[in-house]
Amino acid sequence: MALAIGGPDGEFEPGAVPPTFAAVYCLAPTFAQLFTDPDVGINLAGLIHGEQTFEWPEPARGGDVVDASAEIVAVEEKRGMTFVTLAVEAVRQADQAVVCRGRSMMIVRGAAA
Amino acid sequence: MTAPALRSIAVGDEVTPLQRRVTQAEIDAYAEASGDHNPIHVDADFARAVGLPGTIAHGLLELGILAEAISRWAGGSARLGSLECRFSKPLQAGDTITCNGKVIAVDTGAGVATLEVEAQSDRGERVLTNGRASVRLAT
Repeated sequence: MALAIGGPDGEFEPGAVPPTFAAVYCLAPTFAQLFTDPDVGINLAGLIHGEQTFEWPEPARGGDVVDASAEIVAVEEKRGMTFVTLAVEAVRQADQAVVCRGRSMMIVRGAAA
Repeated sequence: MTAPALRSIAVGDEVTPLQRRVTQAEIDAYAEASGDHNPIHVDADFARAVGLPGTIAHGLLELGILAEAISRWAGGSARLGSLECRFSKPLQAGDTITCNGKVIAVDTGAGVATLEVEAQSDRGERVLTNGRASVRLAT
């Protein structure tokens, strides 16, 4: 990821975790449960990321093991689309510090099945 | 990288703009790195079938480039305290994104600068809007 976002002139920071690596340790494991759940019935092809908020109270470091959780906090139907807002949090196991807290607004085009 | 000292930061200071062409190869690399293999990012035929002009970059890839721009200015990614934005327009594969930021508040007590941040594409579209970031500064 550091290569994909840092670009050819990226500066390597030893031990540092790119802040938006939270996509992997915080969003991916929790969202995968929601968006692949047949009971939820979300069509991945119609899924768009609308808004994102991240806070990093204590920056994660390479080697950290974290527990990530997510909660659906709002579901709204507007203009034939469904807006799903999730609150996410990742806690470092070693000291229980919150390394990332966030809010994701996802847009499902076409109502959820 | 060295962080700018708190006392040297003033409202109106600007982040050095970061410009990057986001190729399909970069989007593919990001799909691998993030585990987000939604075909709208990697399959042009699929993307067109669902009404997009072609494959588009992951919003979080754009946000990652914006975070990189702020981190370079701030003196390291650990100084980025928060970042938020709206993904207003899609960035198409091959487009060039330009990320900007400007200091709008400095809290000397907390050692935090607040920035208004955004990104545009070379199509003249504002792809990331309503952006805000906070940066922990060296005292």
